[in-house]
Amino acid sequence: MSEASRREVRAGLEPSLARLWRYALVLSRARDVADDLVQATCLRAIERADQFVPGTRVDRWLFAILRSIWLNEIRSRRIREGGGFVDAADALTTDGAREIETNITASAVLRAIDRLPEAQRETVLLVYGEGYSYAEAAAAFGVPIGTIMSRLAAGRAALAKLK
Amino acid sequence: MTDDDAELVALIDNELDETRRTALLARLAADEGLRRRYQALREAGAPLAASFDELLRQAPLARLRAALPAAEPRSSSRFGGLALRELAAGVVIGIFAAGLVAWAAWSFGLLGGREDWRTAVAEYAHLYTDDTFAPLKPDHALEAAQLSFVGAKVGADLTPESVALPGLRFTTAFMLSHEGHPLGVIAYVDPTGAPVLFCIHANHAADAPLRSERRGDLSLASWSRGGRGHLVIGHMPEERAVALAQMLEKRV
Repeated sequence: MSEASRREVRAGLEPSLARLWRYALVLSRARDVADDLVQATCLRAIERADQFVPGTRVDRWLFAILRSIWLNEIRSRRIREGGGFVDAADALTTDGAREIETNITASAVLRAIDRLPEAQRETVLLVYGEGYSYAEAAAAFGVPIGTIMSRLAAGRAALAKLK
Repeated sequence: MTDDDAELVALIDNELDETRRTALLARLAADEGLRRRYQALREAGAPLAASFDELLRQAPLARLRAALPAAEPRSSSRFGGLALRELAAGVVIGIFAAGLVAWAAWSFGLLGGREDWRTAVAEYAHLYTDDTFAPLKPDHALEAAQLSFVGAKVGADLTPESVALPGLRFTTAFMLSHEGHPLGVIAYVDPTGAPVLFCIHANHAADAPLRSERRGDLSLASWSRGGRGHLVIGHMPEERAVALAQMLEKRV
């Protein structure tokens, strides 16, 4: 079981990189933090590969690790260090200084997502970007399904105001 | 954000259980404001998948790969989660949109000029199940208000007392239209939840005596008087539809 676990985890890392990075960026709203978060996740995943159950979804497992590192380590450290959150406006559509070239609609939508509170932002990504069911998202966040529904509704309502 | 938003979004995402789903669909059929809200929420989410894909394209893959702890490079495989959700949503939207389009076409009288209005009602009645109206439990004030509204639209004096039927519970009354004429629908349920409709169509029809027929599983009893067509329709024996119609004929 250990050998299969390690093999599946290693095999699952590279294909998940872009999606892990996207999740990390949506959470942290900072590209340098996103890079670090992805790397930390991959390291932690290899360290804990024995805990992975072969045959289950490695991407979801990696997402859970990423979220845990964000919440328990990076996010809390930033708060403790008093840096709070750099209110990086348009973190999802700019690369520090310059606007990332992207189509107009996606840009407007990403800016709106960027402005959502963290819980809504994260829920919208997992459900609408990663295909989590309501039940899976509820389990991932440890909240009732009703909370998932409210967050998605608030997210959609905010996007509806774009029109 | 309204209280209904969460349920509407769950409907859009095909995450509502059967009972709540059919109850919400019935509400949507009767409430134009709610339908507009549904559309707005649905359209708001439409560009999300593409926008998230755009974000994915921005991932600095070379840098991320370089930082991997000596993992073997593999060709990336796309997980089917997003595609599945899009498909599911598309199917629900497709079905519901088709239903809404048919509904809108019906309510604007576009479903064939020669179509008998009772046929149009019968076709829609086939969609209703025991779960469609059973969850609706209005109090007396709401019932009176809905009946008053419908009555005013079709030119009939409708009150909870005048439309009360034995063995049936009132659930809702709402307005549709057929061929440009107001069509009032009063929906009851029997003790099992099975729906029975009493429809009044202000179509300037000539007087016609009570007659009944079967269409598939449904019994219809209809008559015309005072420039209005009346129809009782439901899953019940034909004799019962006639009996109910006779009661209503005296009072409405």
